[in-house]
Amino acid sequence: MIAAYVFVIIGLVGFLVFTAVKAWKYSHMPVHSRVDLYPVPGEGNGRGAYGGSYFENVNWWERPRPHNFMAEVWYIAKEMLFILRMFENQRSLWWASYAFHLGIYVMFGWSILMGISVILYPAPEFWIIGCNIVGGVGFALATLGAILLLIRRCTTDELRKYTTPQEYFNLLLILVTLLTGIASWLTAADPFEVAHDVFTLNASAELPALVVVHLVLVGITLLYIPLTKMSHYIGKFFAFHKVSWDNEPNKADSHVAQAMRREAELGVVKNEWAAPHTHTDGPEK
Amino acid sequence: MSLKNKKLRPRDMANKDAVLSPIDDLAPLPAPYDTNGLEPEFKPMKPEWAEKHCASLDGFIALDTLKRPETKEEEDEFVKKFLSGLEKLFSDSNARGLQPLKLTMEFCAKCNTCSDACHIYQGSNGDEIYRPSFRVDVLRRMYNRYFTPGGKLLPGFTGADVEVNWESIARLAELSYRCNLCRRCAQVCPMGLDNGLVAKEIRKLFSQEMGIAPTPVHAKGTELQLKTGSSTGLTKPAFLDTLEFLEEDIEERTGRKVKFPIDKKGADVLLMHNAGEFITWPENPAAFAILLDEAGIDWTLSSEMLGYDSVNYGIWYDDFQAKKVAMKHFEVARKLGVRRIVVGECGHAHKAIAVAADRMASAEQRVPVESFLPLMADLVRKGKLKFDPSKNDFPVTLHDPCNVVRQMGIVMPQREILKVIAPQFREMTPNGVDNYCCGGGSGFAIMSSYNFGDFRDKVSARTKWAQIINAFKDEFENPEIIKYVCAPCSNCKGTIRELLKEYKATANYNVQYGGLVELMVNALVSMDKPYLEFLED
Repeated sequence: MIAAYVFVIIGLVGFLVFTAVKAWKYSHMPVHSRVDLYPVPGEGNGRGAYGGSYFENVNWWERPRPHNFMAEVWYIAKEMLFILRMFENQRSLWWASYAFHLGIYVMFGWSILMGISVILYPAPEFWIIGCNIVGGVGFALATLGAILLLIRRCTTDELRKYTTPQEYFNLLLILVTLLTGIASWLTAADPFEVAHDVFTLNASAELPALVVVHLVLVGITLLYIPLTKMSHYIGKFFAFHKVSWDNEPNKADSHVAQAMRREAELGVVKNEWAAPHTHTDGPEK
Repeated sequence: MSLKNKKLRPRDMANKDAVLSPIDDLAPLPAPYDTNGLEPEFKPMKPEWAEKHCASLDGFIALDTLKRPETKEEEDEFVKKFLSGLEKLFSDSNARGLQPLKLTMEFCAKCNTCSDACHIYQGSNGDEIYRPSFRVDVLRRMYNRYFTPGGKLLPGFTGADVEVNWESIARLAELSYRCNLCRRCAQVCPMGLDNGLVAKEIRKLFSQEMGIAPTPVHAKGTELQLKTGSSTGLTKPAFLDTLEFLEEDIEERTGRKVKFPIDKKGADVLLMHNAGEFITWPENPAAFAILLDEAGIDWTLSSEMLGYDSVNYGIWYDDFQAKKVAMKHFEVARKLGVRRIVVGECGHAHKAIAVAADRMASAEQRVPVESFLPLMADLVRKGKLKFDPSKNDFPVTLHDPCNVVRQMGIVMPQREILKVIAPQFREMTPNGVDNYCCGGGSGFAIMSSYNFGDFRDKVSARTKWAQIINAFKDEFENPEIIKYVCAPCSNCKGTIRELLKEYKATANYNVQYGGLVELMVNALVSMDKPYLEFLED
């Protein structure tokens, strides 16, 4: 039993560590060329709403560049919580995707509640009822979403031909983890007791095989997610905030200028391209 | 309708078909082009083209410098070079492109939300190869096969299943020129990823490693510009002659004396035009001169190498060429000691010098850059230019150049101006940052070798053409009513010129086109005669 408990904890820690490592890698990549893409919601003076930018000003470099932080937060919150772009542009897939992601969010909340339950153990009844409702909704939505996504990926030609065996495996892994979880908590064990046993490493507890399988799957899934493209929760942050919305001008005192100076000193940018014109300052000789 | 075109998978890129996805049914055009029989036909492909180049993607050839190998050794060398370039694309050799590229390669969920945002996918009526995600998935599968542990160990499981051979590589190269780099796809991506940018990264691989780029863009584009001063081949003496001729022509036509200031040290504004304007649309730089003089702006043109040509084709295919051109532009401005560079009506020149070049050099090496649009809007707002809008009393619609609008966020100044000078102004749908590309973006406007012009006019510009027709829905078929497509960008203007010519829209329906400044000058109270040539009669 203890091995299963330890594995869940390793999974949790691994998830956090691997996520942090990936985020660190992306945040320490060389400064990229500017590739602004509008609308940039944080553009001030109401410009973010219609896609305008500071370039609409005469002598823009002499003016303050107001940043609407709240508009940026509001946009990304809508995108994260409702997957707004898919809702607006591909509604039929959104239902499945949203059910799945909302289920994951709710289950994330449930996991935190279960963590608190360990501290409260034995938790009062109202807490247990609340947790059960949250967990039930999370499991139901995530499982339904995973099944719908799998069906769509298997039956819609335009999705099927781009989906690799690994991507089916990813969905199946999550689905099986969810299903073993549902079966475990409905038929085999009390999640509050198991959560308590896991975090107190209670070696004396007896666990049914189904619950052991579920706990191992939870550990594997947690370790696996940050190593795959399912870690898009990291990618999304960088793609929006650090690429499309990064329109900071390279002024003498800017942090972009400082970063580029550092990179120049370290020789970060290399030129190993083979075409002759890449090694001349003017036209090809 | 060919079902095959809709059923292709990334791994089919390596198959042996003579043409992988021949163009057949296209998206229907609105009335009257649904029935009037004025749509031009495709030129048939000549067999010798396919023998020399890669016509096996869709029957079109964009890359005239991509030659079929004659020996097995040549073929092997080609594959080797490609793989070497592919590795460099993901290394520090591509440091400034690495983060956006890696994000798109790693995190795409393959939801295909991007497809319906793409005007080329729409125009082709949904041919699989034109999905923004298709070309990127081909690249991803090739890269994974050779350069990731998962792809090398378990190619079947990770989907690293695109065979890398001459045909698949050459088709990928061609496919990178079936995207206008308008990046509308990136606007709708739920992950914020950018398949448009990756199309450019593929172009970079071919140019920077293998020396393969379309002649009009490279040899007769950036190279010619670096050698002669302009991608048009216009030299300094020819440029000065052109200006002189222009001054006389404007005076003769409008009675208005215009003098172009040249190389004026310490001027407030260095105005930089796409040199194509001086040759093809001279009324555009002349209109700028009239407006700036009337408003009392201290401005100058440059006659130095590259100073009289703002274009920078490098931003479409090659970081090195882009940087060389941009640095020369800044050098010209620094030597003149001007306070700012103002870019005229050329969309990609805007983005090249104001955005792309921003992180190519230090602030000391650069000179502040501004678009002509806020400057003109400011002059209008301050009443420095007096207009009589009744002179422009005909339907006008506005094309939003992607580089200026979606990729720089300049949306309102042009609308502010049009609301003052054009009483019958109406928007296209969609517009602003949601606009569709003209179909000539990223070099297509100047690429007409072999049959590529047909691809532009009938496929990539198709959605824009439908937008233009729909903007004039009520009066389109009435040749008595002038209809004006305002396109404040040289390459967009060039594409729209071809559309109106090929679809015989000017001849049959009196659809005219031009820039914004010509329309402004036409409405000036101080002008005694119409400035727009089509009003002269």
